[in-house]
Amino acid sequence: MPRCQKILSRRMFLAGVSAGAPLLAGGTRAWAADSNFPSKNIDFIIPKSPGGGFDNLVRVVVPAMERFLPHKVNVVPDNIPAGGGGKGITQLYRSKPDGYTIGAVDLPGSFVLQQRQGGVAFDLNKIVWLGLLGRPDSFALAVGTNSRLKSMQDLMALSKTRAVKFTSSGPEGTAYAATVIATKILGMNARMIAGYKGSSDFVVGAMRGDGDAVVAPVSTLLPMVQAKTMRILANFETRSTFPGVADVAALGHPELAQILLVRIVGAPPGLPAGIKTILAAALNKSMADPETVRLAKNLDVVMSPQTAEETETIVRQSAALFDKWKQYLAA
Amino acid sequence: MLDLWLSGFEGLLQARELLFLTAGMMMGLFFGAIPGLGGATALALLVPFTYGLDPFTALALAGGVMGGVPMGGSITAILLNAPGTAPSAATCLDGHPLARQGKAGLALGAAASANAVGGIIGTISILAILPLAKNIVLLFGPPELFLLAVLGLVIVATASRGKMLHGLISGAFGLMISFVGYNDVTGVQRFTMGIPYLWDGVRLVPALIGLFAVAEMIHLSIRGGPIASDTEAIRITSMTSGLFETFRRWRTVIRGSLIGTVVGAIPGVGGTVASFLSYSMTVNASKDPDSFGKGNIEGVIAPEAAINAKDCSCLIPTLAFGIPGGAEMAVFLGLLVLHGLQPGPLMLIDHQVEIYGLIWALTASCVLASFIGLLLVRPLAKLTLLDAHVLVPVVIAVALVGSYAIDRTIENSILTAAFGILGYLMIRFDYPRLTLIVALILGSTAERNFNQSMMMSNGSLNIYFTRTVCVCLLAILAAVLLFPILWGSNRRRSAILAREAAAVK
Repeated sequence: MPRCQKILSRRMFLAGVSAGAPLLAGGTRAWAADSNFPSKNIDFIIPKSPGGGFDNLVRVVVPAMERFLPHKVNVVPDNIPAGGGGKGITQLYRSKPDGYTIGAVDLPGSFVLQQRQGGVAFDLNKIVWLGLLGRPDSFALAVGTNSRLKSMQDLMALSKTRAVKFTSSGPEGTAYAATVIATKILGMNARMIAGYKGSSDFVVGAMRGDGDAVVAPVSTLLPMVQAKTMRILANFETRSTFPGVADVAALGHPELAQILLVRIVGAPPGLPAGIKTILAAALNKSMADPETVRLAKNLDVVMSPQTAEETETIVRQSAALFDKWKQYLAA
Repeated sequence: MLDLWLSGFEGLLQARELLFLTAGMMMGLFFGAIPGLGGATALALLVPFTYGLDPFTALALAGGVMGGVPMGGSITAILLNAPGTAPSAATCLDGHPLARQGKAGLALGAAASANAVGGIIGTISILAILPLAKNIVLLFGPPELFLLAVLGLVIVATASRGKMLHGLISGAFGLMISFVGYNDVTGVQRFTMGIPYLWDGVRLVPALIGLFAVAEMIHLSIRGGPIASDTEAIRITSMTSGLFETFRRWRTVIRGSLIGTVVGAIPGVGGTVASFLSYSMTVNASKDPDSFGKGNIEGVIAPEAAINAKDCSCLIPTLAFGIPGGAEMAVFLGLLVLHGLQPGPLMLIDHQVEIYGLIWALTASCVLASFIGLLLVRPLAKLTLLDAHVLVPVVIAVALVGSYAIDRTIENSILTAAFGILGYLMIRFDYPRLTLIVALILGSTAERNFNQSMMMSNGSLNIYFTRTVCVCLLAILAAVLLFPILWGSNRRRSAILAREAAAVK
């Protein structure tokens, strides 16, 4: 080997080592940081008031998550409901991406919120998604049992004479978005009576006759249907869980099945991959934990562990649905 | 029916249930007494510990907490003018002036006994109306709730006799503050000045802590000396005198309890409205309305009876339809669901033993908490003998930290301080705080329900004249507005006739 080549290779070797050493040290530090994670309590932001279905679900998952994290720390639920949940999501988005702040959001409502705030406060597409909180919930269209509307035909006939009134949450709510999208797909002339405080509240509003009908998650409607106080006219599932009730195929609108209530856990943008893996694994394991499954069943939520990648696919589907209808949602 | 009541009671008489009930009551008493904490925080902390308990025991524990909170809230409201919970703020209005007069023992004794009696009357009322629960909830839609909010505002406005203009100014100011924040119906932020903290509006509990506790401490530090101006008088007030006062004013107790029961049963209204409404109606019904706000014992009894009575009836919308009346009930609702007790019309049929057990637990807890409150009357009353330079820094620190502790937000403490200054200015220039608070509570309820009513009727006001409950509420509203005018002109006529008769003689 010629001498110059030898020198070059030695120089190259020294240069390589000197360049690589900091990287190696950085990598070691990152690895050490990941292996020490978590070393303090994790803040779990819930952008809803205490006591609702969403809050309960987080509180069911949290004890199991603490058990499945590699080090013993507390995961502390933190309710930040202000601004229809906007403040909580903003706080999650702007937190340091060190894994010590995570949070749950619901879709597609949070896309509406983002759009209504002009996209300046947070960007859901940049949040690092860790997993789903239970299987996405389908919606159904229902009326009170005392309503003179007995079928979808009656509802569509009414829609031809005047706007059908739907009780719902505020405009940033997932139920509001679901109602607007569903009525647009069905080609219905609809008007919203918005601003009810929770899903039970607007379902009871329809039962009382404040509006003609309601679009609500199946899990909320189920106890009311069993008590014969609400009647389901249409179910936006591919196969209806209610015998004799039209599903999306019978309605002739398969697109309705895409309207889902998705509850999802995320972390601030820029979360290191190692920490993401640890958090996603703990969340996934807690979903399969028998005690979590039992308690979630009481909330009418089916636990269904999903990987972070599967979760991201579901978020993309929800984003695509929102994008298609956003002109009607973010007015 | 009777066997179900008894089964619920029997279920509670087990050693394990009684133990959890007592533990819950003690926790409720403590959390109720610390401004800013309250029942919702206590229950939220307890929820994970109930996962391993059977539903009945978990309900006994929760019932214990909810029954103990009002008494705890009243203790600090009377002694320090610092309402431990929002509904207890109404007790401050006359409870603390009594403490200043050296009658803290009397006020605490009356509060404790009114608590217990109110709880018992509330239980009897709820047991009677539970079978009709579904119908009651379905009677009150947005138009009825709007008129109810207006009625509440009118009753309170008419209670500020003698200073009607000042009352109206603070009421209008309260309404303006209540419109700050996120509009639930339109999804628009208003008057938030780009401050995210204000997205949810001006929060009630930090505002109340400021208006009462901080304002009072500013006032005390300027005045100097202890809370009780007459340090000798404190020795002659005892728990028995307070106890007897409650039974002597049985009309006030029954009125307060019934108001608490009715308001609690209406979905989404909440206990703060019940206590302030009960206070205002007692002022209106009194032969000596001017004595209120200066230390009238009826001003303590009325809200206290209503607070505990509403605790039971709040269960109606919560259990029948899953609509909580306030933050505490919302967390309790979560606890129910986690234990497989799904609220809804079927719950009133399928889980009657548990429901009756819970009602008994609430009653037992509030009676027990009142008893403990009575035992503590004497030592606690001595707090009012502490000098301002000891008391003021401690109370202000507790108030600011308590506000912060609600949801670990420093802005809560800033809000408390701002409302403290506002409260002091209102005391100084004789503006009633009552109208401001009620307007603050009811303003957003009135606005939301008015908007929803207009959406229901396509913008027509006819909706208020075509619904039976609305027409009844309008009639009551007219009566409340006209009664003072007619009563006044009648008194003037009588006075003229008396003068003429005297002149003839």
